[in-house]
Amino acid sequence: MSGLGTEQAKASAAAAHSGASAAEVPAPLGLYVHVPFCASTCDFCAFYQTQPTAGSVDRFLGTVRKEAELVNWDRPVHTVFWGGGTPGLLAPRDLGRLAEIVRAHCAGVPEEWTVELAPTTVTAERLAVLREAGVTRVSLGVQSFQPALLEALGRQHTRDRIFRAYERIRAAGFASVNLDLMFALPGQSEEEWAADVREAAALAPDHLSTYCLTFEEDTKLWVKLSQGRVKLDPEHEARLYEATWSQLEAAGFAQYEISNFARPGHICRHNLNTWRMHEWIGLGPSAASQHGGWRGANVSDLDKWWTGVERGVRLTEDRVALTPRLLAEDALIFGLRMNAGVDLAAWRLRAPEAPWATVEDSLATLAAGELLMREGDRVRLTTRGRLIADTIGTEIMAAFEPLLETA
Amino acid sequence: MPHQLTRNFCIIAHVDHGKTTLSDRLLEYTNTVEQRVMTDQHLDAMDLEKERGITIKSHPVTMRYHAKDGQVYKLNLMDTPGHVDFSYEVSRSLAACEGAVLLIDAAQGVEAQTVANAHLAFGQKLKVIPVINKIDLPSANLDLCLKQLEDILTISAEEAILASGKAGIGIVDILEAVVQRVPSPRWTDYAQTRALVFDSLYDSYRGVISYVRVFSGAVRAGEFMLLMSNSAKSEIKEVGVFMPKMEKTASLGAGDVGYVVSNIKDPSEIKIGDTLTLSAKPAAAMLPGYKEVRPMVFCGLYPVETSDYEKLKAALGRLRLNDAAFVYSSESSVALGFGFRCGFLGLLHMEIIQERIRREHDVDIISTYPSVVYRVVKHGDVTIEVDNPVNLPDPGEILEIREPTIKAAIHIPNDSMGDILALIMEKRGVVDHTDTLDATRVMLTCILPLNEILVDFNDRLKSVTHGYGSMDYELGEYRAADLVKMEILVNADPVDAFASIVHREKAEGKGRELCEKLADIIPPQMFKVAIQAAIGGKIIARDNVKEMRKDVTAKCYGGDISRKRKLLDKQKEGKKKMKQFGRVSIPSDAFIKVLKTN
Ligand SMILES: Nc1nc2c(ncn2[C@@H]2O[C@H](COP(=O)(O)OP(=O)(O)OP(=O)(O)O)[C@@H](O)[C@H]2O)c(=O)[nH]1
Ligand code: SF4
Ligand SMILES: [Mg+2]
Repeated sequence: MSGLGTEQAKASAAAAHSGASAAEVPAPLGLYVHVPFCASTCDFCAFYQTQPTAGSVDRFLGTVRKEAELVNWDRPVHTVFWGGGTPGLLAPRDLGRLAEIVRAHCAGVPEEWTVELAPTTVTAERLAVLREAGVTRVSLGVQSFQPALLEALGRQHTRDRIFRAYERIRAAGFASVNLDLMFALPGQSEEEWAADVREAAALAPDHLSTYCLTFEEDTKLWVKLSQGRVKLDPEHEARLYEATWSQLEAAGFAQYEISNFARPGHICRHNLNTWRMHEWIGLGPSAASQHGGWRGANVSDLDKWWTGVERGVRLTEDRVALTPRLLAEDALIFGLRMNAGVDLAAWRLRAPEAPWATVEDSLATLAAGELLMREGDRVRLTTRGRLIADTIGTEIMAAFEPLLETA
Repeated sequence: MPHQLTRNFCIIAHVDHGKTTLSDRLLEYTNTVEQRVMTDQHLDAMDLEKERGITIKSHPVTMRYHAKDGQVYKLNLMDTPGHVDFSYEVSRSLAACEGAVLLIDAAQGVEAQTVANAHLAFGQKLKVIPVINKIDLPSANLDLCLKQLEDILTISAEEAILASGKAGIGIVDILEAVVQRVPSPRWTDYAQTRALVFDSLYDSYRGVISYVRVFSGAVRAGEFMLLMSNSAKSEIKEVGVFMPKMEKTASLGAGDVGYVVSNIKDPSEIKIGDTLTLSAKPAAAMLPGYKEVRPMVFCGLYPVETSDYEKLKAALGRLRLNDAAFVYSSESSVALGFGFRCGFLGLLHMEIIQERIRREHDVDIISTYPSVVYRVVKHGDVTIEVDNPVNLPDPGEILEIREPTIKAAIHIPNDSMGDILALIMEKRGVVDHTDTLDATRVMLTCILPLNEILVDFNDRLKSVTHGYGSMDYELGEYRAADLVKMEILVNADPVDAFASIVHREKAEGKGRELCEKLADIIPPQMFKVAIQAAIGGKIIARDNVKEMRKDVTAKCYGGDISRKRKLLDKQKEGKKKMKQFGRVSIPSDAFIKVLKTN
């Protein structure tokens, strides 16, 4: 058995514990703001977003301000992330207003502040406002460098727009720049994808996110899939994953999660903290929170969201109470997505009531099957394991289930 | 009506030669069934019979016929099934008659069951009336049929009646022949009451209903009857005749065919072929020919949904009530859960029961591979019967395994001789002798292991003879053979549902085929999974299940956790329904698919 109760384990357990007592170092707190506006809907998109109408941006900003006032800001915010939708659709002046709201609650300057931008929205003026406000990191939604694939994805931007946007972002001097890419697009060859990765790496960003195209329900792409107009090919996808990982490794980008790669010092801490089951506050329609004893998401509907907030209520969906046991389970399921894996000792201390014996059995089985590696109390997935992290997640979930009979 | 004016006859033939259709015409002509309620293949009352166009059960019916001699005759007709699985049914019907109308399809000529059934009729000393049927068909070959009648069946062509059930040709000729050629009821002067039980039926209101042919004496309500095979005694509640619906009568006398309702509760007490007598004045000797019917083919039947177990059990119980030849007992399987071991007369019987379970009882079921009953001789001179390969003792305990064989009569056109000999050899059979039927056809008499004809023998016979081959068989003796139990292992764990008893020389090929199929159908697995076929621990074939390559969500951030958990939870619940083999989870429908693809 592993060394339960060592000093080191206690220390990391304390760090992992978000509801820390005053004497302990508080766990990092994140803030996510969902900007729900897009000019049009991409075929693959399952995010909550809508086309902005006259006055809706104003009302959105006013409501974010009110929602923030409903939150118990119990400690300083470490990381901020604005996602969407398309935050860059906001006019420079509105970006400034949103930043003001955020800063009012952060109690100091966030260590990391990311804003997602679509290439078409990158203007010098917007970048200046963001820089000024304290944004440290820009995530640019490139998706592909191939004009035909951009077209097929229903994206608004061209290849030239990407390069122009990137230059502007670099010129503005943000500490960290990420490029988002997508692969396994219908009709995309392995060579085409390798070319995309090469071009992205050649721009020398600090961070890269590469996403295998996912068929989300209620998207146009899903409809095509169910009509048999496009086909899933897990073998092809697996090969693309493997190729990406080795290609980026060679280009100096270390993988730290299934879809994320960074140069030294540029890991996205906001996301790292969610996989570690720390806490974050979500503002805006559909934004998820894990804070103050519960996890849940705001309603995915602008109207419902703002009428609720105006009445002083944050309407939430999928709300569950956070228990150490649930967090331990999720820390494993989602933590194993990270190359660094999970420190079991810390979670064992924090959630002693979890069924660790069955969990250990399950981990041992996975290790025997060469899907998982174990170094002391740290468990991490092998390359093969990482490719089937969801299946492994269900194994772990089953191991955490209290009454799972072996009959 | 005196029994001198009664005629009992059945219609016999090879499958599909038109027995039931001809019966329709007889019913119409004698006004037994009114025109307005008449339907095609009227006596095939079961949905399944109607749909498949085959007769499964013998159907008795009493007709009144005004003959040309001016007398009114009571004609008891029995339509019989043609398929070999139900030949016991045919022989019971023959035992209840004095005459048989033997149909020969004018386009097909004499086929295997034509000969087999004719011989059954001769054996029971029945008067056989040959009828060349379907003469309306353009492909009818009367000359050939008449010649075959003489050459193969040794019946004079002059006796033949030309008819068409469909076109209504020859109907009166047939009725007149029955009256004039079939003798009046036999054995009527035996001192005590004797009746042959040739079928039974379970009715949820009235209980067990026996179908009987009375030979001597009479049966009426209020008397106590005695079944001679097991001395079961019970009170007769009602007697009646088939018109063709049951109609109550005061009594059934010598020569009559009808039904008896008694207060017997348990249908298994009624044995087809038994002799019914009266307990007050019991007969000394049974009617001849009683034989226990024993199932020859066994398989496991399992509900696809485990929650359907009780429903399946109830369905089997109900089917058994009307089918003495069908037996079942509970069993369980690691791969398939709780189910039943079921015994049948043959494959068609098995198929029909399975279909009735699915259809009439609405239970989705899966069946394991059919198996015959082996006799295993163990050390110390003990012989046990094994109908489930799982129950085969360890090889060390076995002296010898004996398998049932059949004696088959295979009719084929001369030019397919080569193909048929190859097929017989492949199926481990030996040809005993060959008879020339006529210029174009021969009959092979051969011994084949029953096990080998279960799966595709008949289909292959039909295909190599372009539909002109036919086969009839009877059970032969048990013969020792080099048989072994082949197990299928999933990651070294045996999967009981796939265990089979095979001939040693065929094991490897069959093993390879099964491994390949399973490896193909089992969905990709997290771990390496080997599928192996083994005999007594020795691996004879192997294959690998595909390894799961990719199952990972690309984007999984704070907002995705709840949704992701729901998806994983669903996957997990799905996995719980799977069968565990060590580290391997296999959906039970994978087994089902493999079993189905046979
Ligand atoms: N042309 C023609 N077809 C006929 C005649 N009699 C029957 N058929 C057809 O032959 C097929 C079989 O008829 P059935 O009466 O069901 O034959 P069966 O002998 O009772 O069949 P089993 O009970 O299954 O042995 C059906 O398709 C009938 O329509 C006939 O006189 N002429
Ligand atoms: S821009 Fe992003 S959020 Fe908007 S529709 Fe496209 S994928 Fe969805
Ligand atoms: Mg019929």
